[in-house]
Amino acid sequence: MRYQPVIGLEIHAELLTDSKVFCTCQNEFGGSENTRVCPRCSGLPGTLPLLNQGAVRLAAKAGFATDCVVHNYSAFDRKNYFYPDLPKAYQITQFEHPICTDGHITVTGGKDIRINRIHIEEDAGKLVHDDYEGISMADYNRCGVPLIEIVTEPDFRSVEEVQDFVEQIALRLKYAGVCDARMEQGSMRVDVNISIMPVGSTEFGTRAELKNLNSLKAIGRAIEYEINRQAEILDNGGTVVQETRRYNDNHGDTKALRSKEEAHDYRYFPEPDIPPVLLSDADMAEIKASMPEMPQTRFARYTKEYGLPEEDSRLIISNKEFSDFYDEAVKVNPDYKQISNIMLVELMRHLNESEKAVSDLLFSPADLAELVKMSTDSVVSRNAAKDILKIMFDSGKKPMDIAKENGFIMDNDASGMDDIVSKVLSENADSMESYRNGNEKVFGFLMGQVVRAAGKGANPKLIKDLLTEKLK
Amino acid sequence: MALKKLRDMLDKKEISAVELTEQYLDKIEKADKSINSYITVCAEGALEDAKKAQEKIDAGSANAFTGIPISVKDNICTMNVKTTCASKMLEDFVPPYDATVMEKLKKSNIVMLGKTNMDEFAMGGSSQTSYFGGVKNPYDLSRVTGGSSGGAAASVAGGLCAAALGSDTGGSVRQPASFCGVTGLKPTYGAVSRWGLIAFASSLDQIGVIAKSAEDTGYLLNGIYGYDANDATSSKKSEGGYTSLIGSDISGIKIGVPKEFFGDGLNDEVKQAVLSAAEYYKKLGCELVEVSLPSLEYAVSAYYLISSAEAASNLSRFDGIKYGTRSGLGDDYNDLIKNSRREGFGNEVKRRIMLGNYALCSGYYDAYYKNATRIRTQIRSEYKEIFEKCSLLLTPTAPTTAYKIGEQENDPVKMYLADIYTVTVNIAGLPAISTTCGYDKNGMPIGMSLIGKPFDEKTVISVCDRFERDFDKREAAL
Amino acid sequence: MFNSELTKHLAELSKLEFTDEELDKMTEDMTDIIAIMDKVCGFDTSKPAYALDAVDYNDLRADAHTNSYPTDKITANAKNVKNNSFVVPKVV
Repeated sequence: MRYQPVIGLEIHAELLTDSKVFCTCQNEFGGSENTRVCPRCSGLPGTLPLLNQGAVRLAAKAGFATDCVVHNYSAFDRKNYFYPDLPKAYQITQFEHPICTDGHITVTGGKDIRINRIHIEEDAGKLVHDDYEGISMADYNRCGVPLIEIVTEPDFRSVEEVQDFVEQIALRLKYAGVCDARMEQGSMRVDVNISIMPVGSTEFGTRAELKNLNSLKAIGRAIEYEINRQAEILDNGGTVVQETRRYNDNHGDTKALRSKEEAHDYRYFPEPDIPPVLLSDADMAEIKASMPEMPQTRFARYTKEYGLPEEDSRLIISNKEFSDFYDEAVKVNPDYKQISNIMLVELMRHLNESEKAVSDLLFSPADLAELVKMSTDSVVSRNAAKDILKIMFDSGKKPMDIAKENGFIMDNDASGMDDIVSKVLSENADSMESYRNGNEKVFGFLMGQVVRAAGKGANPKLIKDLLTEKLK
Repeated sequence: MALKKLRDMLDKKEISAVELTEQYLDKIEKADKSINSYITVCAEGALEDAKKAQEKIDAGSANAFTGIPISVKDNICTMNVKTTCASKMLEDFVPPYDATVMEKLKKSNIVMLGKTNMDEFAMGGSSQTSYFGGVKNPYDLSRVTGGSSGGAAASVAGGLCAAALGSDTGGSVRQPASFCGVTGLKPTYGAVSRWGLIAFASSLDQIGVIAKSAEDTGYLLNGIYGYDANDATSSKKSEGGYTSLIGSDISGIKIGVPKEFFGDGLNDEVKQAVLSAAEYYKKLGCELVEVSLPSLEYAVSAYYLISSAEAASNLSRFDGIKYGTRSGLGDDYNDLIKNSRREGFGNEVKRRIMLGNYALCSGYYDAYYKNATRIRTQIRSEYKEIFEKCSLLLTPTAPTTAYKIGEQENDPVKMYLADIYTVTVNIAGLPAISTTCGYDKNGMPIGMSLIGKPFDEKTVISVCDRFERDFDKREAAL
Repeated sequence: MFNSELTKHLAELSKLEFTDEELDKMTEDMTDIIAIMDKVCGFDTSKPAYALDAVDYNDLRADAHTNSYPTDKITANAKNVKNNSFVVPKVV
């Protein structure tokens, strides 16, 4: 490629608080127009913002999750601009003193992507447009929903790095309970700043900001499109304009948003209604201690300590609840490989087929651990274990109860089985004769006859051993 | 009549709350046509308040404020009662909630007579910029009341309420109190909740009290002070008991006289009156200390830059969309809000918004806004040093007495410079009181101010009260 | 120096509309006002800028929601409401 893309990201993530960031309205997705609104978040005159402690806590967690420096002192500023979805005509954000700075995440290929800052801010409302009447209607339900904005340095040089970073950020935020990171619902929104420069150059080109990217795939397609678009401009001797472009998923292209009549001058200044926030070292330690194990740490544990394959480890950690379930199960029965296998193959299949989540499961991790132990201890056969799991999945019953009720318990009594085998052989003298004459195929038939006579609890290995012995 | 006396009469049933309210409403009806101190008179609501108050009095469960008729500045939100900020922009705005101060006073069954006139959005020192017409001084109807709480001060001076709630961002309680011959108290920043006070400059605004005496201001402050979870800048440091030091011996108290407050630009009659007040205190055994606030020369500029910057941002929400005047003009969003703001705001408000955006905009921020906040830090530290040498400061409230309507309020520069003696108190967040200390040759009241340490309203009130007891006060001849 | 171009720029930032005559008057007023404000420009920049006293994290509002306001009270002061929403000319 003749051109090298240079990419930086701005990621907005909605915080999983109970209330909004500056008022006590419920922080929840959707709702009918202006039903989750109060004088504060609708900007009525005389009202004042009240900072939510939970939002500060989650922002600090986001910082810890991305190896940022979380600051003892952070402060809020006003960003002034007029738009009908912003009732106060200023957004309260952190400009001069963000809560977190200087983080990083290692992406595929081992490269470090630097995070410049993470700051807290409020979301704006939603506009519904009516083309027929030529109006826009403002709904303030989303006004004051707490956000963090994660700003990276322009360290990305490929789509793969960007996608890996976004995947990792989403996963870490989910693990930390900071954000549910659903790009398609808009609870995590990624804006891409992209420019290109000739390969070998060190001087960045003019960048475009891409918006409306609501999936990893869209991010990839938009970046590819933009690289080509900018390359074409440069190849034709043109210059790239600094502008905001909106990605259209149906066409796979980006279009410039109508440029504002004037350059933005946000006139930031310290928010006089909110005193700066002091996080003591003790508060910081307490918040840090409340952080769950991060996915990258789990990955290392699974691959290095548990000896799981990288692909399996990646699959398990990609869903925190699934991974939590796994961890609980291996605490009871440290058979890392077998538990991983049954979860990734059987359990995953049942979850997918029934479109259920781990939180819907009717049985506990300990039940699963017991089931695996029953199988490895030859209390039930491997095939029976699969059947038992399905019944556990549907009913929530205990594995041992299911095994007993359904006669899955393997009969390991050699003397009893010996009689059955002898009886079956005497009833099938022809087959026995045929086997001894070299027709080894009839072994399977004889196995089947013994299993049928012995019932579901028959231990296949025991039967096989006895049959082999008696057919000699 | 003193609030304490009114309380006594109500409790002894020498007058009923309804009779008292009717007396005030009658007087408003008669006199306010000429003074124009009220934008909205709540006759019905006040009588209802009074009836409920009387029930409480009759049941023996009255407290300090039950049945006391007050006026409320029209930038303090009152549930279901129009709150206009004296602006066309909010001429029909009805808040769905009460300011914290109103919530507190309503619980005590205070009687709200109405909402008082003011400079539009509290920006001004004359009370002539009101969309509802200017306020006239009860001492001389051809003169201004000062502002921005001119309606509040005039309603007290004219006997159109027992006491008043105002607001003070750069002198808006003290200066009109001075011009109208009454007492105005601006509490420490954070002493009174700002929840429900329609913001002008958030870091400087404070609700204050205007009354007939220092004692009355303390009496009413007792009902409105205190930490409020709805206002993150309100403080837990206030202790109340604001009249508790009244009557105590003030001898030995050190009163600072900052020399910069008595320099060029101060009217001679005002200077003499304030200096004789200083002599009076000296005679009572107070120690006068000469102190200095070297950065006073920067104060007006710093104040106007900070307050206008905050105002530009605070007033951006007025676009005609959610509330307030919505223009019939404008085909697109931008034109609609520009026209609404053009129609809704008066000239002084527009100037402040322009100045505020000048201070904040790219290329000017560091030289103007940022430097103004540096000056703010400097002034605060100079005050801190001063208060190591004395407990109070004595200063003039304004360079002049009330001037003739039309004389200077149309010259913004002259108006701004006249705020020199009041703005540092807001910049430093201090408590201060203004009371009358003399009359000029035209019989207009002269105001002096006592400035106290943060959260030391008690001392300010008691030292002011001591002066008022021996001062021969003239009532406005209405 | 202050001039009508700057006045226009500030008017745009302020979302204020002026006639030519008003613009001239505003430029005049602003020129006089800024002349006073220029006093601050020479101030010692090594002095710290003012900031509110910080509050402790533990004194912040606890994260718990309460009921919102009835929609009709929120929209009661608006002149143009449709679908319980605030109406403006269409924006892109």
